[in-house]
Amino acid sequence: MKKWQRINALAFFLVAVFAAVKAAGIGFGSFESPGPGFFPFWLAVLLAVVAAVYYAAYRGADEAAPPRKYWRLRRPAIAAAIMFVFLQALEYLGFGTATLFLFVAWLRGVEKQRWLKAGLVAAIGTVSFYVLFVVLLQLTVPRGLLI
Amino acid sequence: MNELQSLLQGFSLAMTPYNLMFGFIGAVLGTAVGVLPGLGPAATISLLLPLTYALGSPLTSIIMMAGIYYGAMYGGSTTSILLNMPGEAASVVTCIDGYQMAKQGRAGPALGIAAIGSFIAGTVGVLGLSFIAPPLSRFALQFGPAEYFSLTILGLTLAAYLSGRSIVKGVLMVVFGLLLATIGLDPISGKERYTFDTMILMDGLDFLTLAMGVFGIGEIFMNLEGEMKSELVTTKIANIWPTLADWAKSKWAVLRGSLVGFFVGLLPGGGAVIASLVAYGMEKKASKEPDKFGQGAIEGVAAPESANNAAASASFIPMLTLGIPGNPAIAMIYAALLIQGVQPGPFLIAEHPDVFWGVIASMYIGNVILLVLNLPMVGLWVQMLKIPYAILAPIVVLICSVGVYSIKNNVTDVLMMLLFGVLGYILRKLDFELGPLLLAFVLGGILEKSLSQALLIANGNFAVFVTRPISAAFLALVAATAVVPLLLPLVRRRTARQQDGPAG
Repeated sequence: MKKWQRINALAFFLVAVFAAVKAAGIGFGSFESPGPGFFPFWLAVLLAVVAAVYYAAYRGADEAAPPRKYWRLRRPAIAAAIMFVFLQALEYLGFGTATLFLFVAWLRGVEKQRWLKAGLVAAIGTVSFYVLFVVLLQLTVPRGLLI
Repeated sequence: MNELQSLLQGFSLAMTPYNLMFGFIGAVLGTAVGVLPGLGPAATISLLLPLTYALGSPLTSIIMMAGIYYGAMYGGSTTSILLNMPGEAASVVTCIDGYQMAKQGRAGPALGIAAIGSFIAGTVGVLGLSFIAPPLSRFALQFGPAEYFSLTILGLTLAAYLSGRSIVKGVLMVVFGLLLATIGLDPISGKERYTFDTMILMDGLDFLTLAMGVFGIGEIFMNLEGEMKSELVTTKIANIWPTLADWAKSKWAVLRGSLVGFFVGLLPGGGAVIASLVAYGMEKKASKEPDKFGQGAIEGVAAPESANNAAASASFIPMLTLGIPGNPAIAMIYAALLIQGVQPGPFLIAEHPDVFWGVIASMYIGNVILLVLNLPMVGLWVQMLKIPYAILAPIVVLICSVGVYSIKNNVTDVLMMLLFGVLGYILRKLDFELGPLLLAFVLGGILEKSLSQALLIANGNFAVFVTRPISAAFLALVAATAVVPLLLPLVRRRTARQQDGPAG
């Protein structure tokens, strides 16, 4: 686990260095008249310092004990992929089709439900949310090639 | 005009049918979404926030948001008691005795005392808010940029300190949140900062997109890691009203919880969470039968539930009077007010007395609505708990997506929300608390503005922060907050050595 913490610390440190360099380029100004880069620059410096303290706190050999939490990425990764495709569908195909896709893909891909159940829930869900968002609340939803 | 008169005027505003209706809708929606497992008050508010934008009037909008906030707090306790799954961090301790009571067939009294305790505590909190907020606001009128800078630093330090186990991680989140807030155009010079020449970053990161991403979507990713297995207590829920014996046992717990909750809730940081933990611990210590805690003691439900509701009311005080939100849920209400053109802070009472007093009056009304709503409608909330997570998760994704899309009618914002969801998930996995990040993001603008103004006025002399007494007092508190945790182990070791000395 310590290894992960050190990697975090390094990642934050790199973000801080990048932010500091960019901020310095924007225009630091002076203490009497701070420029647009003044505040972000000092924040980046502070971030670098705290990241270094964080790194130092997790220095040394890894514990023998296994990490408290494991990365179980399969379902979150599938969900993220489905959400990404859903967003594309939202833009190009429209709200209705994208919603139908979201429900079916989620229930099949993430939750391993049967096609019949997935289809049924998707159909009911899509109609219900279309009525709620478009008809009742009259929200602006993306309209693509389809509904 | 004295406070009482103003409050009465607030009641006349809050009790218009239109405002009353939206207060009621907010309370119902807040409870309904707050009841759902995995959705705490912050996620609930972020989910329902876009609905309030369309209302037009800032008063109606904040009345609805306050209803959502209170409703979500109430909803969380139902989940804890019946499902043994805290709907939000402030209800964690409620699970301990609440679920045991439910398993013993006493879910009714547990839910009843949670609702009644919350009502009493909420009322205590609002009374405190009515009478403390105006003088605090007047005091805050003396604040200049230096005081605001120091106060914001104090708020952020407390947020980092109280949010989790590691202060370093808390501080990292605060600084990272502040840095995220600088993305976009510089408010004074108009120069681009960290925009990478993209249009989407020109306006800066949107608060709602960030909040929905890290809280709504990030929460879903976390929940997907394991199966959401819940043990819903399905026995019929009867006898909601606590018996006289129950009441005799809980009355002091409710009162103590209310007072502890109110004072802890004033602190920026973990407000309601810390309040419920402190109240539970205090009640266990005060009890003649501490062994019964953990086995279904009604005081174990009454104290934390009262404390977290009193804290919820109290947390409005620093937000409305000083313009410093104390927790993520309040930060969302703060951001929504800004969007409505209302700047919370010491001038709020003078500039928008209708908003200030209307909100306070609506809180009194909201508490009554929630009591009336929760006791008879428990059956409905139990039905909501039966919605499988498999169906709930895509619904949350859909609501978040439509909510974010509706802000600027732009799918790229929804994509940003997904990215923040991934970021929130990774940070959560690495044991980072996201509350301080969100608070810092909201307060970043105030901090930068007050720092720049203070330095401009003082010709770049940093002594301005310590030579002005109020600012110096805030910074002394910051130093104490930072130093005390470092010194405590040393003091403890020394005391232990001294105690060992004479004996040995």
